[in-house]
Amino acid sequence: MPNASDLATPTPTAPDTGRPDDSAGERFDRRLGLAKAGLGVVAIVLALMVPWLAPDAFILSVAVVIASYAAFAVGWNFVGGFTGYISLGHASYSGLGGYAVALLTTHTGINPWVALVLGAVVVALLAVPIGIASLRVRGASFVIVSIALVLILLLVFQSWASVTGGSEGLRVPRPFDSSVLRPEQHTRFYFLFLVLIGIALVVWWLIDRSQFGAGLKAIREDEDKAEALGVPTFRYKLVVFVISAFFTSLAGGLYALWFGNLDPVFQFSILTGSYMVLMSLFGGIRSLVGPVVGAVVVGYAMEVFKAQYGDSQFHLVALGLLLAVVVLFMPEGVVPEVLGLVHRLRPAATSIREESAAQLLERNRAIDAERRAQTEATSEREPVEDPRHATTGKGRS
Amino acid sequence: MTALITQAVILGILLGGLYALLAAGLTLYFGVMRVVMIAHSAFLILAAYLAWAFHRATGIDPLFSLIATVPLFFLLGVVMQRFLLSRLKPATLTMMSVLLTFAIALIIEGMLGFVWTGTQRRISLSYSTASLEVFGANIAVVKLVAFGLAAVSLLALYLLMKATSFGQALRATIQHKEAAALLGIDTEKVAGYGFGLGLATAAIGGTALALDSTIYPSLHWHWIGPLMAIIVVGGLGSIPGAAIAALVLGLSQSLLQIPLGTTWAQTVFYLALFITLMVRPQGFFGGRLAQRF
Repeated sequence: MPNASDLATPTPTAPDTGRPDDSAGERFDRRLGLAKAGLGVVAIVLALMVPWLAPDAFILSVAVVIASYAAFAVGWNFVGGFTGYISLGHASYSGLGGYAVALLTTHTGINPWVALVLGAVVVALLAVPIGIASLRVRGASFVIVSIALVLILLLVFQSWASVTGGSEGLRVPRPFDSSVLRPEQHTRFYFLFLVLIGIALVVWWLIDRSQFGAGLKAIREDEDKAEALGVPTFRYKLVVFVISAFFTSLAGGLYALWFGNLDPVFQFSILTGSYMVLMSLFGGIRSLVGPVVGAVVVGYAMEVFKAQYGDSQFHLVALGLLLAVVVLFMPEGVVPEVLGLVHRLRPAATSIREESAAQLLERNRAIDAERRAQTEATSEREPVEDPRHATTGKGRS
Repeated sequence: MTALITQAVILGILLGGLYALLAAGLTLYFGVMRVVMIAHSAFLILAAYLAWAFHRATGIDPLFSLIATVPLFFLLGVVMQRFLLSRLKPATLTMMSVLLTFAIALIIEGMLGFVWTGTQRRISLSYSTASLEVFGANIAVVKLVAFGLAAVSLLALYLLMKATSFGQALRATIQHKEAAALLGIDTEKVAGYGFGLGLATAAIGGTALALDSTIYPSLHWHWIGPLMAIIVVGGLGSIPGAAIAALVLGLSQSLLQIPLGTTWAQTVFYLALFITLMVRPQGFFGGRLAQRF
């Protein structure tokens, strides 16, 4: 049976763009799905076991740092991945989140966890006017504005020392009392970061599947066309921008609670923002797990590099080189590249990978030609003249 | 008080001149390639370091380092355009070029710190402390020299754009690349030279900067913000717009330093940037292409 159906539907024009009911392809998909699920389970189990696998408190603290990178990258990817607006200034929101938590807990004395969420809400509200201003422009101007925002916040938070502590730094009260020892603190914060990443990923996934997500992706592909098709582009961009600011600020606040001290130079650093971009791009901004994969790989590499060569200027060179290589040679990211390689093995691949307009056009054309061939075949029922060959031979050239 | 204001006005114009030259470079890149060159100010600091190193090694006036740095930067610009930026896919060029030039800025900053450490450097010249009295205001000679350098370069750039056939080709490429190509202009080559010219402005600006400022590797972040603000306010792609915005904002910064102090006065650039985006996103002197990028 499967062989017969295979034989009955050869696709002469584009052999790699078969139809979803292709049974060999289905089998491959099932296996791939299983492999992905298996890999996911292994990754989750490994991630959960890190506190017990880590040999000492230092390694555990590195794990917390990497988890925070992942949380930042996932937060960034709401705006970067869906709309394609690359913000180099997301350190603004992580920094503001950190300061919001610190100031709320020290001045009002509320529970640090309430302050964390409240702070993120405040930052999200602040992101509304910022988004209205910066989303009016596209591409390069947007990036300029995002960088300018970090620079302006750095300036303000350094100068406004009476509130922010300036370069002296601002102490963040510990959320756990002093009976909780350092390694235990690391473990707790590690799991808190995992929870945050989990929630953010679920939200990302839900948006990805929704009409809202489709509209956002339309903006990424071609904003003018999306608008012409009736996507309320500005509102969509603004909403996802605020969501992104919210999650980035939550991650920033959590980081502040863990680290315990805030210095404007590190909070509002362009480097922090560029880490988020590099990690997301490295993993693949269009995929759900891309930013997490990128954060783990790049974050681990960065930490090893720092441990080996110290926190010298040279790690800037490494960061720059890595970013340049990613931009030049694999702007799609590692996860989509690997998935693409796997899909080459598929007997006749469907498009799980998102495709460009040109690819889609080509595929639609192939389907179109085939459908026409089929209708012609059913209407004429002439076995002598194979209409499929007729269309591929002269019809579509 | 009037002397203070006169001084601020003169200093503002002098600073504005340097801003204008650098912003003109940024505008050139944007014009020929639709690229926002984040690394512009990193090259600026690189040139300043080269001038400083040249002066330290030879003891000759750092202005003479221009003989080497300007052609070197021009070549670097051509190479960068040909081998890095034109490799990017056209569809994502704007975003990816920002990231690529950002990466280059990081590499330059890291290398500067690696080679010459993060220590603050300053050139001391025989005329470093000399100053002229103009209308009761004290103006340092080095600032005048820096301004003169910027003004002469801007004039030369203007003449090159207006009076030579290369300038004509360059302007045609900026206005409409495809049409220029149809007229027989080798737009790729012209774009490369335009990029080289842009980097050459960074070489000149850097040498001018080295004359009267303390330099350190991460200084370029303090320059890129104001420069970016200038080109957005002036309208991306418009050289006169960039020059006017540079002078106006340089002047405002200088005047605001009197009541606010140096740190808060810097915010004028960002304020101008945000106001421009709210009121007129394409910039005050920008053409139709500005908003799309």
